[in-house]
Amino acid sequence: MYGLTRYKLFFLLPGLLVLLAIILFPLIFTIRVSFSGWDAVRPGLDWIGGVNYGRLLADGRFWQSLSRLGLMAVSAVAIEYVLGFGLALLVWRQIRFRRLVRVLFLIPMMTTPVVMAVIWRTVFHESLGPANDLVTLFGFAPIPWLTNAQWATFVVILVDVWQWTPFMFLLLLAGLLSLPREPLLAAAIDGAGPIRAFWNVTFPAMAPISVGAIIIRLIEASKIMETVYVITSGGPGTSTETSSYYIFIRGLRDFQIGYAAALSITYLVIMIVLLTIIAKLLTKTLIKAEA
Amino acid sequence: MARITLERLGHAYNRSDGTPNYALYPLDLVWEDGGTYALLGPSGCGKSTMLNIVSGLLTPSEGRVLINGRDVTGTRVAQRNIAQVFQFPVVYASKSVYENLAFPLRCRNMANREVDRRVNEIAELLNLDTILHRPARKLTPDAKQLISLGRGLVRDDVAVILMDEPLTVIDPQLKFHLRRKLKDISARHGHTLVYVTHDQNEAMTLAENVIVMDNGRVAQVGTPQELFENPTHAHVGYFIGSPSMNFLPVSLYNGKLSIAGQVVAFGTVEVPEGGNLLLGIRPEFVDILPDAPPNALKAKLSEVQDLGTYQIVTGQLADGQCVKIKTKSFKGIPGDEFAFRLVQDRIRMFCDGKQVKALLT
Repeated sequence: MYGLTRYKLFFLLPGLLVLLAIILFPLIFTIRVSFSGWDAVRPGLDWIGGVNYGRLLADGRFWQSLSRLGLMAVSAVAIEYVLGFGLALLVWRQIRFRRLVRVLFLIPMMTTPVVMAVIWRTVFHESLGPANDLVTLFGFAPIPWLTNAQWATFVVILVDVWQWTPFMFLLLLAGLLSLPREPLLAAAIDGAGPIRAFWNVTFPAMAPISVGAIIIRLIEASKIMETVYVITSGGPGTSTETSSYYIFIRGLRDFQIGYAAALSITYLVIMIVLLTIIAKLLTKTLIKAEA
Repeated sequence: MARITLERLGHAYNRSDGTPNYALYPLDLVWEDGGTYALLGPSGCGKSTMLNIVSGLLTPSEGRVLINGRDVTGTRVAQRNIAQVFQFPVVYASKSVYENLAFPLRCRNMANREVDRRVNEIAELLNLDTILHRPARKLTPDAKQLISLGRGLVRDDVAVILMDEPLTVIDPQLKFHLRRKLKDISARHGHTLVYVTHDQNEAMTLAENVIVMDNGRVAQVGTPQELFENPTHAHVGYFIGSPSMNFLPVSLYNGKLSIAGQVVAFGTVEVPEGGNLLLGIRPEFVDILPDAPPNALKAKLSEVQDLGTYQIVTGQLADGQCVKIKTKSFKGIPGDEFAFRLVQDRIRMFCDGKQVKALLT
C-alpha cells in the first residue's frame, strides 16, 4: 500500500507543483506583501503589521469603488440576462436562421475588449462621436457621455452589455435546446398560452442554467477594468472607478505595492463571500423546487 | 364528450425529389362519442402521428379533423379541448401535485373555489388526495402519470382523452392496476378515449374497438374478438394473438385445398389470378389427434414449449413449413410424427396479404 501511495504521489507531483506555482505561491506572496510597507521609496519585504489594513478601512475611495462596482456588475448582468434570454427565446424556434444568428451574436464576444473599448470611446466622443450626431439629429442637446458621472456609468454598463450579452445568449440557448419537448406540449394541451407556458414551464426548467450563467457573469463582471481604463480612466473624477481599477492605480501608478496587496486580498475575500451569498440566494429563489 | 371524425386525413413529408413520403396514408375514421379505442401497431406505423394531428400538435398535410362536426384542422391546440397523456410522465416540476392538477383550470381563469373543488374531486378519484401538497417532481413514475391523466380529467369540457403509450414506463404490477383504473374512469365519465399502444394485451383489455395499423395505414378496425377470429389482413393475424396466426402456403385444384400434398378442405375460394394464396389458422383452432386416421394431416414434432397453463407445440410439415398449435397437455419426443386437424370453420384464406372469400366444407 505504501509503495502504491508513493507511486501515485509521483504522478500527481507535476500537477501539484504547477498548482503551487500558479495559484498558491502568488496568493501567499500577496498576503505577505500586504503586511509590508513596500512602495516606490522603500521597496522590499519589511514587516509593518496590519497598518495597510487599518488604512484601507478608512479609505472611502476604495469602499466607493466597491459599491460602484456592485452597481455596475449587477445592472450589467441583469440587463445581459434579460436580453440574452429574450434573444435565445427568439432564435430557439427559428431553426432556419439559428446558425447565422448564433455566429452574428458571437462577434462581440470574440473581439478584444481594449480594441472595442477604444471604438466605443470614439462612438461616445462628445464632439466627434456618432452617438451625439444621432442625438442632435433628433433635435436634442448633445449628451456629456463621458464627462457626466451618470452618463459615464451608463456607457461602461452599455459596453459590458454589448460585449457579454452574446455569452449569456449562448448559454441560455444551449439550455433551451436541451429542454424536453413534452412539458411544453402538455402546457399547450392544458390551455396555456405562450406567456403562461414560459413562466410555468420554460422559466422554472431553465432555473439551474440561469443561476449558473448569472454567477459566471457576475464573477467576470466584478473584474471590469479594461473598459473603464480605456473609456473613462475612472472619470469624471473617480465616478466610474471600479475596485480593480483603483487597485491598479494604487499598485502600478502610485507604486504602493504593499497597500495594493492589502486592497487585493480584501477585495478577494469580499468577492468570495458576496458571490457565495448571491449564489445561495439565487439557487434558493430560482430553484425552489430543488429543496 | 365528443364524436371525432377523421376525413381523408393523411400526413406526408416531402422527399428530396418532391414526392410525398407518407407517415400516415389518407384515411377515414370515426370515433364515436364515449367510445374507447385502441390504436395498435408496431413502432413507426403512424399511431402517434395520428394522435398528434388530432390533438393539434401536428398539422396534417391533407384531410380534416372534425370534433362534433366542427372542423378543427386549423384550430390551436388549446381551443380543441383535448387531453393528452404522453408516453413519459409529464409534470410541471416546479409545482406541487395540487398546482399541477389546477393548471388547466388556472389557464381558463377559473375562480379559486371552483378550482379547489375540482382538484380535490379528481385527486380523490385518482387516489392522489394524500399527496396533494407534495412537489410533483419527487413522485414515482406511476403517480406522475396519474397527474398527467388528472390534468386531462379535471376539465369538464374535454372532448377526448388521447393516450400515447401511457403505461410504458410503469412497472408490470402497477400497469394492471392503472389499466383497470383507466377503464373505470372512462366508463364512469363517458369520455371518448383513444389509447395508443404496441401491446396487444393492453389494447384488447382496454378498448371496445381496436384500430390495427401497419406502415401508415389502417389494416383493420374491429372489436378484440373480431380481430382475433376474423383478421381481414395477414398483418392483423400476425400482430394479434400469441403465438400469431399460422399462415401456410396452400394449393387449390379442382375444389381441393392441399397443404404439403395433403388435402385439408374442399370448397371454393375467390382468388384473383396469379395471387399468392395462404391458409390462415389460429394455433388455438388446430387440434392434435390422439390417433392417426388415414387421411389426417401429419407433422413431425419440432418443439414443445410449456407455458404453465398451456403448451405451444411446433410441428414441421412434409414441405418444411412449421405449424404452431396451442394445446393443454401434449407429450411427445421431437422427431415423432403426430396427426392434427384444422377446425374447418376457423380457416381463413388470404391472397396477397388480404382475406378472400372462401366457402369450405
